[in-house]
Amino acid sequence: MQIHIHPVLGEKFTEEVTFYFNNKPLKAKKGQTVAAALMANGIRNLGTSRKFLQPRGLYCATGRCMSCFVTINGVEHVLSCMTLVDEGMKVFPSNEDPDPGSEINGS
Amino acid sequence: MEADVLIVGAGPAGISAALTAEKFGAKVILIDESFSPGGQLRQQTQYFSNLPTGYAPDIGLKVIETLIKHLYASSVQVYTNHTMIGAYKNGMIGVTDGNKTFPILARANILAPGAQEEAKIFPGWTLPGVMTAGAAQILINRESVLPGKRAVMIGTNNFAFTVAKQLHDCGVTIEAFIEEKSQITCSDGILRDELKHVPVWTESTVQIAQGTGQVERVSVHTPEGRKEIDVDLICISNGFTPILEPFVIMDCELTYKKHLGGWVPLYNEKLQTTNPSCFIAGNAAGITDLGPILLTGEIAAISALEEIGILNSEEAEIERRKRWLELEKLENTAVCQARKNLIASSRSRQSPLTKSK
Ligand SMILES: Cc1cc2nc3c(=O)[nH]c(=O)nc-3n(C[C@H](O)[C@H](O)[C@H](O)COP(=O)(O)OP(=O)(O)OC[C@H]3O[C@@H](n4cnc5c(N)ncnc54)[C@H](O)[C@@H]3O)c2cc1C
Ligand code: FES
Repeated sequence: MQIHIHPVLGEKFTEEVTFYFNNKPLKAKKGQTVAAALMANGIRNLGTSRKFLQPRGLYCATGRCMSCFVTINGVEHVLSCMTLVDEGMKVFPSNEDPDPGSEINGS
Repeated sequence: MEADVLIVGAGPAGISAALTAEKFGAKVILIDESFSPGGQLRQQTQYFSNLPTGYAPDIGLKVIETLIKHLYASSVQVYTNHTMIGAYKNGMIGVTDGNKTFPILARANILAPGAQEEAKIFPGWTLPGVMTAGAAQILINRESVLPGKRAVMIGTNNFAFTVAKQLHDCGVTIEAFIEEKSQITCSDGILRDELKHVPVWTESTVQIAQGTGQVERVSVHTPEGRKEIDVDLICISNGFTPILEPFVIMDCELTYKKHLGGWVPLYNEKLQTTNPSCFIAGNAAGITDLGPILLTGEIAAISALEEIGILNSEEAEIERRKRWLELEKLENTAVCQARKNLIASSRSRQSPLTKSK
């Protein structure tokens, strides 16, 4: 859920953007990270762990725990807590091993 | 890229170091892996009054806003979205912006990567909805997003109470504090009083967090037996520990000091590590409060400039002395003592610090 009026900070973000999760359009505030934008829409499950196939989500919010990987605009294994959401961004959960050899992943 | 001083980490320590080095005439590059400068002060809405000379008391977020304004008005070159990921054989620091990786050549480096939160492990701790207290704080205060509606806080230290209070003020119900020890560890009486309506389960541990796809309930082992409650948020506040990777990369020796947060890089009174080209500042040099964090940035900058000859030794000594005296006044006694012990143990080594291989 978005906090519209923060008790100390008031209204922090004003501009709205539309982005997509699993092709579904969602609204977010410009200035939020992808992880936070998803959480504001009630989405906390960001992917599946490889070995035990368990759900994973935001844990540290500081880019250290690697629990919040998603695929953004085709690039796999992007930390959603360290990436700002953008208009038209296409986000998918991280459910598989990345393909490090693919061109878009930076081979 | 070239500079007199490269600073890694644009939290309060790194920015304070950058502004000090720039003021004394150095060409400074400041990098941070995040999309904006400010580090972990960007989400702190609590009030700070115990600050060094020149700082007005304010909430953390405003203190850092002011510093960032000065930073962008200065000649310091700031690169956000840039991460230190390694070092080249010749000692240059390797940095990536996610696309390119390149070296930055500096005559001295100041490493200020800050601290990380310690995990607490129990069955179900990886479920979405279980997060560090700091993560919850980032979500409400930096991102304006509610991480849940009903929460438990694991831990009763000052940070646990700080975040619980901030969550409460945003409308989150704090169902209970869960504490392993026999009593609350928070030393702030006002905070404790403000949350006195929240039950504290002492001598208690989480048995399991459960839910389908995300947290839905938590079972807690208490002296009165097992308690189970429905929650959608479990926050873990288990203390902070210095971030060490940049120091390990630079081959700096580490030492263990419980009161500084665990393993810390070894340093002398110049805040110089065992790698003479690397200085240290902020919570990476020992977990402390904002006042000392800002002062360590200034001290590291002065020493780095002395090392490369921009300041002479007498000038540097005078400037450093002033700040150590102020730091001693602002810092918690146990932390300050641990810092002195660490510095003393570095002094008993050869000077300049040599590496034991
Ligand atoms: C989530 C969280 C919440 C916190 N909340 C509080 C609080 O409420 N009250 C309190 O007193 N303390 C809090 N702290 C402790 C915090 O460490 C201090 O408040 C303070 O921000 C430390 O200042 P610093 O400059 O040493 O480090 P930081 O503020 O952590 O800044 C370090 C910076 O270095 C950057 N960095 C790290 N590694 C690299 C790298 N390899 N390359 C490039 N950049 C890098 C980081 O992105 C960060 O911006 C919190 C810490 C965390 C992690
Ligand atoms: S939540 Fe830990 S890395 Fe993103």
